[in-house]
Amino acid sequence: MNEVINTEGLTKTYKDVNAVSNLSLNVRKGEIYGFLGLNGAGKTTAIRMMLGMINPDRGTVFLNGIKVSSDKTELWREIGYLVEVPYAYPELTVRENLEIIRRLRFLNDSKTVDYVIDKLKLNKYSHRKAKNLSLGNAQRLGLAKALIHNPKILILDEPANGLDPAGIFEIRELLTDLAKNHGVTIFISSHILGEISKFSTRIGIIHDGFLIQEINTQELEKLCEKRLIINTLDQKATKLLLQDKDIKAIDNENGKLLITDKEFIEGPDKIANLLVGNNIALTQLNVIEEDLESYFLRTIKLKD
Amino acid sequence: MKKISNALWAEFEKIKRSKVLFGTIVVFIFIPLMTSLMMFVARNPELASKLGIVGMKANIFGTSNWLGYFGVLNQLLGSISLIGFGFITTWVFASEHTFKTMKDIIALPINRSLIVLSKFIIISLWSILLSALVFVVGVGMGFVVGIEQWSTAMFIEFTKSYFGATILTLLLAPPIAFIAGYSRGIIAPLGIVIFTVILAQFAGLLGLGPYFPWSIPALYAIGNNIPGMELNTSSYVILVLTFLFSYWATVSWWKRADHH
Repeated sequence: MNEVINTEGLTKTYKDVNAVSNLSLNVRKGEIYGFLGLNGAGKTTAIRMMLGMINPDRGTVFLNGIKVSSDKTELWREIGYLVEVPYAYPELTVRENLEIIRRLRFLNDSKTVDYVIDKLKLNKYSHRKAKNLSLGNAQRLGLAKALIHNPKILILDEPANGLDPAGIFEIRELLTDLAKNHGVTIFISSHILGEISKFSTRIGIIHDGFLIQEINTQELEKLCEKRLIINTLDQKATKLLLQDKDIKAIDNENGKLLITDKEFIEGPDKIANLLVGNNIALTQLNVIEEDLESYFLRTIKLKD
Repeated sequence: MKKISNALWAEFEKIKRSKVLFGTIVVFIFIPLMTSLMMFVARNPELASKLGIVGMKANIFGTSNWLGYFGVLNQLLGSISLIGFGFITTWVFASEHTFKTMKDIIALPINRSLIVLSKFIIISLWSILLSALVFVVGVGMGFVVGIEQWSTAMFIEFTKSYFGATILTLLLAPPIAFIAGYSRGIIAPLGIVIFTVILAQFAGLLGLGPYFPWSIPALYAIGNNIPGMELNTSSYVILVLTFLFSYWATVSWWKRADHH
C-alpha cells in the first residue's frame, strides 16, 4: 500500500465558518508533505481531524488504510504527532513527562526515554520541571513525545515554532533523515513556504479551508515568476520606447520598470540593444526571481 | 490488564507531584484535629467559659461521649466529602484542560474509556485515603482527649456507616467529571460542587433529601433517625442511576466530543 495518509472530502464547519472544506489529499510512503497556510487557514483543524480529535461534518480520514475513529486505538501505535503549541504536565520533569507517554504507548524498553532525550538534545534538561522549560525546549519535549516510539507516520503541526535557527536546522535534518533513511511518512504544517520548501517533497496550500494547490517541491522554482528589471537615466523615454515596440512593462514601487515577457527574460540582451540603439543609458538590467513567500502570497491572493 | 495498570501508573505520576495531593491531606487531617479539640473543650466546661465563642460552639457537640463524637465525625464526613471529593474529581479531570495536555492522551494505543476508568480509580483511592485519614485521626484524637463510654459494637456500626457513606459519595464523582469535560475547565465543575452542596441543604429542608442524590450519602451516614428522612430502596436506585448515567456521559464525551 503506497498511500499512507488519505483524506476524502474532509469538511468541518463551526457555526457560519468553514474551517475545512472538502479536503482531499493523499500522502505516499516516505513523502514529506508540507501543509502550508496562513494562521486560521484550517491547518490545525485538518490535522486534528486526521488524528481523530475532531469529528468531521463530512468526509473520512484513512491512516495506513484504516479509517480513523476514536475506537481504533491500535492505529496510533505507528503514529507520532504534535499539535499546535506543545504542553506538558508542569510539575513533572521532562523525563517523567516522557515516561508517562512511554507507559501509555506500552513501550517495554525503559531506555527509549533516554534514547529520545538524547536524540532531541534534552539531556541537560531531563530533570527540569516542564513548567521551567523555554519555549524552544518545550517544543523539543513535544517532538520527543511524537518520536519516542519510532513512528512510521509523523503528523506535525508547526514543529519549528519557538525554535532558534540552529534548532530549526537540526529538526529539518532529523525529519529529512527519518523520511529518506527510515521510510517515515511526514505530514508537516507551516505558514512559512521558504522553510517548508527546504525539505518537503510535496506541498499543499490551504486557504480559507480549501486546498487550493498541490505542487511538487521540484516544480516550485519553475512556478515562481521571473522578471526583468530595468533602470535607465531616462525612465520616461524608456517607457515610451517600450510601448512603441509593444513590449509590456510595469512600474514597480522603486520607479524601476519590470518586464514579465519570457522572451526578454531569457534574452535580456535584446532590451539592452534596443535601449543603447536609441541612446538611452542603462544603469541596471537584470533578471530577478520571485521569492517563495511572494509566490505563496500571490497564490492565495489569486483565490480571494 | 497491562493497559489499565499503565494508565493507572500514569495517573498516579500526575497526582504524586501535585501540590493538590499534599494540600488535601493537610486539610483532611486538620478538620478532625479541630473537631477533637472542640470535643475536648466541650468536655471541660471551665475551659469552655474561658474560650468564649469557641466554648459556645463546642457545646453544639452535645453529649461529649463516643456516641456523640461518632455522630459528629459522620456529619463532618458528610459535609467535607462532598466538597473534597468533588474538588479531587475536578482536579483530576479538568487539569488535562488547564494544562492543555488532553490532546496528548487521546490519540494513543489505549482506549479513551480506559483513561477515564483509571482516573475514576485514582479519584476513588485518593478519596478513600482522605476518608481513612479523617477516620484514623478522628478516632485517635478521641482517645487522646479521653472521650468516655467506648463501645466496640458502636465503633463497628460507626465504621460501617462512615465508609458506606464514603462509597456513596464516590458515586457522585462522575457528574463532576462530565461537567469538567463539557466545560473544558475548572470553574464550572467547582461551581457545581458548591451548588449541589447548597441544593442538598434545600432538599433536606423540603423533605426531599432521600430522593436527591447529593443528600443521600449524608443521610446514610447519620443513620435513619430523622423522621421523614429515612432512606429507602428508591434512594439507592436514584443514586446508582445518577452514577451510571453520568459515567456513561463522561466516557461518551471523551470518545465522541470534538477535542480542540
